[in-house]
Amino acid sequence: MTVRRDDPAAFVAARRARWERLAATVDGAPPDGAAAWAGLAADWRALCTDLAEARELDLPDDVRRWLDGLAARAHDRLYGHGGTVQRGMFAWVRDDVPREVRASGAYVLASAVLLYGPMIASIVAASASPGFAEALMAPEMLARVEAMYEVPISERSAAENAQMLGFYVMNNVGIAFRCFATGVLAGLGTVFFLVYNGAVIGTVFGHLGRVGLGDNLLLFVVGHGAWELNGIVLAGAAGLRLGDAIVRTGGRTVAGSLRAAMPATARLVGGAAVMIGVAAVIEGLWSASPVPGWGKIAFGAVQAVVVVVWWARGGRG
Amino acid sequence: MPVDTVVAFETPERVVFRHAVAGPAARSVAWAVDAVIQVSALAVVAAFGALLGIGFGALGAGVAVGLGLIALFLAQWLYGAFFEWWAGGRTPGKALLGLRVVRADGGPIDGRQALLRNLMRGADALPFAYGVGVVVMAVDPRQRRLGDLVADTMVVRTARSRLASEHGIVPPVTEAEWASLPPRVVLTREERQVIVGMQQRAAVLGEARLDELAGVLAPGVTARTGVVGAGPWRTLQLALARSRGERPVDPS
Repeated sequence: MTVRRDDPAAFVAARRARWERLAATVDGAPPDGAAAWAGLAADWRALCTDLAEARELDLPDDVRRWLDGLAARAHDRLYGHGGTVQRGMFAWVRDDVPREVRASGAYVLASAVLLYGPMIASIVAASASPGFAEALMAPEMLARVEAMYEVPISERSAAENAQMLGFYVMNNVGIAFRCFATGVLAGLGTVFFLVYNGAVIGTVFGHLGRVGLGDNLLLFVVGHGAWELNGIVLAGAAGLRLGDAIVRTGGRTVAGSLRAAMPATARLVGGAAVMIGVAAVIEGLWSASPVPGWGKIAFGAVQAVVVVVWWARGGRG
Repeated sequence: MPVDTVVAFETPERVVFRHAVAGPAARSVAWAVDAVIQVSALAVVAAFGALLGIGFGALGAGVAVGLGLIALFLAQWLYGAFFEWWAGGRTPGKALLGLRVVRADGGPIDGRQALLRNLMRGADALPFAYGVGVVVMAVDPRQRRLGDLVADTMVVRTARSRLASEHGIVPPVTEAEWASLPPRVVLTREERQVIVGMQQRAAVLGEARLDELAGVLAPGVTARTGVVGAGPWRTLQLALARSRGERPVDPS
């Protein structure tokens, strides 16, 4: 009995060695050198031919599945990388994020208004009357906040500082990421979390200012505030961008609209993550240190300038 | 759009290959495995923290609580993003279940997609137990949750089938058998697929069961084609071999 071309067993046997060589290349380390890549490309083209022929044969299911899997992995290896120009993480943060902040300026502005508006309003309201803070926050919450800032931060014990750092990271990053994620509910979640957190932060400020502990809080947050609050603004902008993509699809399907918004959203939320990370580092290393008040305010001012210059100038020629 | 668990991709070489989409069940199990790993890691951090507290008093305890909260944060928000970026779309739980996150066009995901789809858990997990996520998966033809839609990804099964060693007729057709076969045998596509499928499972099924199963199809095939072998299973295999023998032999 001669080996027939349309005999599946013979078909598999004749190509098996080449397939397995391709599988070993694809599943192992990336090919090294031009010859290895050329070999991979040749094996891939041969596999493509084999797949086309295999469709005409009654190949067993497992061979078919195995070939499908191999094709998918080989395709990944050959075409899967991100593009011809790989941009470094640093260049992405330096150029791409601020460009997106400007391109999505309307969302960033709206997010800033939604956070800072209620914040300023509640600072004013809570400083003016005790009733406002008590209406907005539970009495035990207010008592806890007062206890936290009873003494100047520099007099806090190292143990408390370590504990507080963990709490801030957990809490604030959670706030920022929730601001973003709930934007998918047509932007309403983002609006709620921005307004709510703005109001709470403002109330705490106003309340502590009214009871005479404002300096303790201010000197603690002034160093990292520019990074932290504006990080939340960026996360909120990403959430609004997402909500907008769902509400105004511009003739696309919802999934298509989300896909189109994905790169911009990723840059905004990535920028937010970086800013909150910077804030956490400053919080851990600087904010609780025994530097005199004017030093902390000066440092905070410099940070605010850095953020503004980064957003306004980053990525421009 | 039709709902199917298989998505086909066409490459520039005009080759189509398929990914099987993973559903909520497998993904829940993978999630549970990851949750166990996260909780275990947190338990280790907590134990380390307790030692700090015992060894260094109040300072140690403060540092321990701070560390614990940061670990909780990392586990909650960045565990998935890190592994899916670092390990080619697989968290340990997904790897165990043979699942993988890929781009919607079948390619590997990048870091931003890993970050986005995991941050979106904040929305998918609402109001509790991934309620939003499961509903969205039920509606989406590729069973994607919100995070997948936003990051333009999907979760597929990658369980690797092995390339079995033998799929032909065993033992090989003898000269006598070949001579006894009619010159022309035509099988339907369904018949051929059944026989090939049985050949594939021959080792698992065993001779007796193969004959029993083949007994359903073999009499009809014999009556139509005149192929007779030693037992129903041998009959079907010979019919398949002869039907292929009718095709033109490639000159090369």
